[in-house]
Amino acid sequence: MSNVIVCFKWVKAEDDLRIDSSTLAVDLSKSKGKISDYDRNAIEAARIASEAAGSETVALTFGSADTKTALKDALSRGPKQAFWVNDVSAENADGFVTANMLAAAIRKIGSYSLIVCGEGAADTYAHQVGPRIGALLDIPVISFVKEMRIDGNRLYAVRKLEDSLEQVEADLPAVVTVLPEINPAPIPGLKAVLEGGKKPVTEFKIQDLDLEDGDTSRKTDVVSFKGCSMSRKKILINEGDAKERVTALVAALKKEGVL
Amino acid sequence: MSGEDKFDVIIIGAGPAGTACAYTLAKEGKNVLVIERGVTAGSKNVTGGRFYTYALDLVEPGLWKDATLERKVTHEQIMMMDGNQSITIDYSNPLFNKEGEMPQSFTILRAVFDEWFASKAEEQGAVIACGIKVDGLIEENGRITGVKAGGDEMFADLVIAADGVNSMIAREAGLVPELSDKTIGVGVKEIIELPAKTIEERFHLKPGEGASLLMLGCTEGIHGGGFLYTNNESISLGCVFTPSEAAAHGRQVHDIFQDLKMHPSIYPLIEGGKTVEYGAHLVREEGYRGIPKQLYRDGLMVIGEAAGFVLNIGYTIRGIDLAIVSGVAAARAVISGSNPGPAYLEELKNIKLLPSMKAVDGYFDLLEIHRLYETYPKVAGGVFNKMYSISGETPVSIKKGIWGVLKDNKVSLWQLVKDGIRGYRSI
Ligand SMILES: Cc1cc2nc3c(=O)[nH]c(=O)nc-3n(C[C@H](O)[C@H](O)[C@H](O)COP(=O)(O)OP(=O)(O)OC[C@H]3O[C@@H](n4cnc5c(N)ncnc54)[C@H](O)[C@@H]3O)c2cc1C
Repeated sequence: MSNVIVCFKWVKAEDDLRIDSSTLAVDLSKSKGKISDYDRNAIEAARIASEAAGSETVALTFGSADTKTALKDALSRGPKQAFWVNDVSAENADGFVTANMLAAAIRKIGSYSLIVCGEGAADTYAHQVGPRIGALLDIPVISFVKEMRIDGNRLYAVRKLEDSLEQVEADLPAVVTVLPEINPAPIPGLKAVLEGGKKPVTEFKIQDLDLEDGDTSRKTDVVSFKGCSMSRKKILINEGDAKERVTALVAALKKEGVL
Repeated sequence: MSGEDKFDVIIIGAGPAGTACAYTLAKEGKNVLVIERGVTAGSKNVTGGRFYTYALDLVEPGLWKDATLERKVTHEQIMMMDGNQSITIDYSNPLFNKEGEMPQSFTILRAVFDEWFASKAEEQGAVIACGIKVDGLIEENGRITGVKAGGDEMFADLVIAADGVNSMIAREAGLVPELSDKTIGVGVKEIIELPAKTIEERFHLKPGEGASLLMLGCTEGIHGGGFLYTNNESISLGCVFTPSEAAAHGRQVHDIFQDLKMHPSIYPLIEGGKTVEYGAHLVREEGYRGIPKQLYRDGLMVIGEAAGFVLNIGYTIRGIDLAIVSGVAAARAVISGSNPGPAYLEELKNIKLLPSMKAVDGYFDLLEIHRLYETYPKVAGGVFNKMYSISGETPVSIKKGIWGVLKDNKVSLWQLVKDGIRGYRSI
């Protein structure tokens, strides 16, 4: 079987987001990057799939210059090599642009039997990229995958839908978008981290890819980007004896519609 | 043991000690691996926040110019508190910050500083593996030959423990005994964000200038004190206590810290700010006499606070600069090619670390005087109270006033003389 390609996104870690409570403006400047949480499970899923099939895992990302740190991290999780479409436009690309870039890079990489994506990115969670790659490459897409197995040239997957599980099969090559529960994402150990730093990375510039006019212009426009801040009502019930206070509390909770 | 799994030196911990050592070794072409358990260097490190610049110059002349430092310290302040009253001494001397020369000291934020410093060591060729905790040492025939981390083993000609105050590695190697709760302090600290302009107004600073403020008498008589450092757009505020005393006193460290924040002389400095980080950490309190007898054994050396290199002497805490200096000393010992253990001790002397710590050793005795943390701030407050209380009544003479205050605080002349002599001797 030929390579398993896993796509991952380098996102801003939410821990250090600052939200201005009056304007709701979001300050990302203090946030560090990280591999999108669900994509870590995807990388491991790709590793397991390729190990079972005796092929190699290859990691692929579209990101701006600061994605460089991501590549080491991704490579310490198992892939043998990484490809990086390095362009600043990644910072505000939508699913359309990202899928165009990744599909074009996948064509460059050449041989592949399976493409694994996370179900959605930890920042936008738009569910766009995987299905669009499938459409661009004209291969089957299986989304919401919680289990998968490869037998020869056939992929068997279990999809987790709202109230049911669906078993599906497809011929390879195919795209799967996986849920985090497909498998845990182990934290890489010392040797894996050291090896990750030594594995090869191939960098593509946008000009290196065969793209058509319009492929790099987004289809959606972000009109505004605001934080969400919870303001407390600061109601203090401290008058009267215990019974009166409980009654007041229950009344207040009813008024708020929580009871 | 394949070549892949073997380094010249493995350093445990990417704090200032480990990174300074790695930088110096890598620059000389040594194959160095630094293992850090934090996701990035500095991500979990807690410090007060003041750094003496000379140490970076020892690593590489001029390196400080490139460092992510906050404000150069232009104002040294000591505040004595008693209840709601306070006395502040503010010392400033332009000689510490001469135009065009390296400023003596900066305030810093460790998460930023440590990460910057580690990236510099990486540029020199050191390999820094973050997010990995070293679980133990590998020993063969009495010699330390490597480390264990998770299921992995990694080997080196020399292992250097730079794992900080509560060094598990130095303990495992039998070099450092279990820390005693009498010889360490517990520090709690908040980083409170405020606009640069507000900080400059409140502390009377020009842009880029900073203040360092230490407080006595804010710990309810417990051995300890408070600190405040101005960063570019935040204030580091915290206090350090002897934990056993705090427990005996029946108060939570956190509550005492809360009271400090609300003190009428402190609150206006942080008012309107937003706490963005809260941390707690241990710090050694013993100075020179806390340095372990043995700082190395076959295949292993201990540097930084793991080796007791920290000075907490009341008017300043110095751990970061000493950590860096000890890291450089260890690296020089390795580079010298002679037997690294004894060479390390020699370098520690040459680089003036051991002599500097010894010179202020007496402070430990001074700081042992309990009256320093409650009675004397009270006495000072009382005296100032007498001096500045004008009501139209006939005042008692200052001399009489002082005696009255001493009596109120149950300080005898004998004690005063004794503490005075002890204090004088210790400095
Ligand atoms: C509240 C407080 C205020 C202070 N104020 C100041 C000040 O203003 N100025 C000053 O100079 N000093 C100050 N100090 C002291 C100073 O912070 C320390 O002395 C200094 O950080 C010691 O440096 P180090 O490199 O030896 O250790 P650390 O900075 O503690 O670094 C040790 C590193 O090792 C890592 N590590 C530990 N164990 C392992 C393991 N098993 N595996 C992998 N990695 C590991 C840690 O994550 C850490 O990054 C203060 C300390 C405290 C607690």
